[in-house]
Amino acid sequence: MTEVSQPDTVTLVAQAEPEIAGRLRAIAIVVVVGVVSGIIALTCGGYWLSNFTQSYCMVLAVLGCALLYGQLGLVSLSQWALVGVGGWVSLRVYHYVHPPFFVTMLAGGIGASVVGMIWGLPALRMRGLYLALVTLMLAGAFQTLVTVISFPVGGPGFLGQVGASGNDRINMARPNFASSDTSYFLFVAFITMLCIFLVEAHRRSKPGRAWALIRKNEQMAVAAGVRIVFYKAWAFALTGFVAGVSGALLAGLFGQLDGSAFPATTSIVIFIGTLLGGYEVWLGSFLGGLLTRFVPALLIDLNVNTNVGFMLFGAALLFALRDPLGLGGQLTLLAERLYEKIQAQRKS
Amino acid sequence: MNLLPFVASGVGLGAIYALASVGLVILYRASGTLNFAFGAFGGISAFLAWQLKQSDVPEPIGWIVGIAVSTGIAYGYGRYFAPHLAHRDRVVRAIATLGLALFLFGGMALYWGVGVARRLALPTDLNFVVLFGVRLSLTRVIALGLSLAMVCSIGLLLSKTRVGLGMRALASDRNISAAIGVRVVRIESVAWLINGVFAGIAGILLANINRLDAGTLTFLVIPAIAAAIMARLSSLSGAFIGGIVSGQIEALLIASSPEIANLRSAGPYIAALIFLMIVGVGHGVGARE
Repeated sequence: MTEVSQPDTVTLVAQAEPEIAGRLRAIAIVVVVGVVSGIIALTCGGYWLSNFTQSYCMVLAVLGCALLYGQLGLVSLSQWALVGVGGWVSLRVYHYVHPPFFVTMLAGGIGASVVGMIWGLPALRMRGLYLALVTLMLAGAFQTLVTVISFPVGGPGFLGQVGASGNDRINMARPNFASSDTSYFLFVAFITMLCIFLVEAHRRSKPGRAWALIRKNEQMAVAAGVRIVFYKAWAFALTGFVAGVSGALLAGLFGQLDGSAFPATTSIVIFIGTLLGGYEVWLGSFLGGLLTRFVPALLIDLNVNTNVGFMLFGAALLFALRDPLGLGGQLTLLAERLYEKIQAQRKS
Repeated sequence: MNLLPFVASGVGLGAIYALASVGLVILYRASGTLNFAFGAFGGISAFLAWQLKQSDVPEPIGWIVGIAVSTGIAYGYGRYFAPHLAHRDRVVRAIATLGLALFLFGGMALYWGVGVARRLALPTDLNFVVLFGVRLSLTRVIALGLSLAMVCSIGLLLSKTRVGLGMRALASDRNISAAIGVRVVRIESVAWLINGVFAGIAGILLANINRLDAGTLTFLVIPAIAAAIMARLSSLSGAFIGGIVSGQIEALLIASSPEIANLRSAGPYIAALIFLMIVGVGHGVGARE
């Protein structure tokens, strides 16, 4: 009897804990993103509001990077290029048919998702260092390509360019309800929150378990019936989608995009942000993404040369590699210990 | 269309890529670290040589100082920081050098600026050699000769010396090498030293043939990696040929339509990607990842 009842009790506890943890996590996402965004919306304007909106776009790029590294152990050094792809597709779709913003955003997401899956094809044959190299070269190739073809600005033809004067450039419109800078920032914050939930839902469900098994041992995963190609492609499609949405949000922020804004160095900084923030928890992506834009913006505001930012990120990476938890992981650990302490006190 | 002038102009760039690619492969074979900071080391070397030239210091002293500093930075990192990451996987070790690259790039951009049209002039620029009816600057010929000479020297070092034997042992198996008494840290430090010398020379040559710019020099490493990939990160002769081919791809793309010519810098990446997709990682050193 004991032999039977004991496993049942353990199973019940094991089932109950993830549910509670899941609810707490959802509350934490809403509270942290909501409170931080609220404070920014109430206190910032102009320069800082624009930079925090860009920071949230960075958060989405970091979110994808962290998913690939944390769940599958794949290093992607082309996440910012995927944001550029999303921005390009959304601007192209907008200038062709002028659809509502949500459709433009979805088009950017789907476009980058497809490109992300194609870029991820090498991952089906290789991993580790080779994949990092492939993605870095893709980021370099995209930088060259987008500098040459630039982003559509409402001109004729597939590339949508206008004459050298640039007087006929058309800006992409924001949603009607988010036309002001503050309302657009809050809209971006809301989309960021939805994307965090989307990625978390994947992490905590069947795809997340499949990815964990693939990371552990691919042969074991195959033996367990996990479709490796399908789930790897899924991960690349998801991270591409989130990056594409980020590109569309950036296009909405500025109305148009410039090729020089998508250098390979930013993709590297995105990966550094992923490590600094921590790739195991959503809070890591949130903080890492914020930092990647906040630090350069602060340097500009303080009249310090922005190249100091590169030095800071470079030095930070060397130290971040020694701490796999990252800033977000450390804070989450602290919060969990605090929660356990409170629970223990209640029980006693 | 007569392609010979383009082939000839690609000789210099190809030689630099070959030099960089071989430098990367030597270090990767010995230590398992792909050095993303290679271009930044070269950048430091070129900027120092240029700075000393501006201060009327004799040019050879400027080159020697530049190469010595890039070698010193490479050795310092390899001797004192890299061993802390020796037991992490190859991706982590490579990513760490990315941090160093970004740090050095920021420093160069901060001190010397970015986007400023500069070139490191060398005395050999004024002399020409006629090859297949095409005038080729002596600097490009020297770049090719120097690359060949350095690759041959490294080949001799690997096959004839104890350090070379140690490097080959490390390339084969690090743990077993350590168990049989190979002085791992010392051998790896020598590999970093060689890497620094190659980077210093490649940086000075690229600053002459292309431009003296922090971004251009730091990201010299990407086409060099593309060339190294074509050698599966394991073969020195393959890396040399990969570098020459990468240079030729860029040069020949200039000969095509203006639209494609603008995309020429992406040529080596695309070639490496196609190579990887068709040929695969194979049995090169990196295939163990």
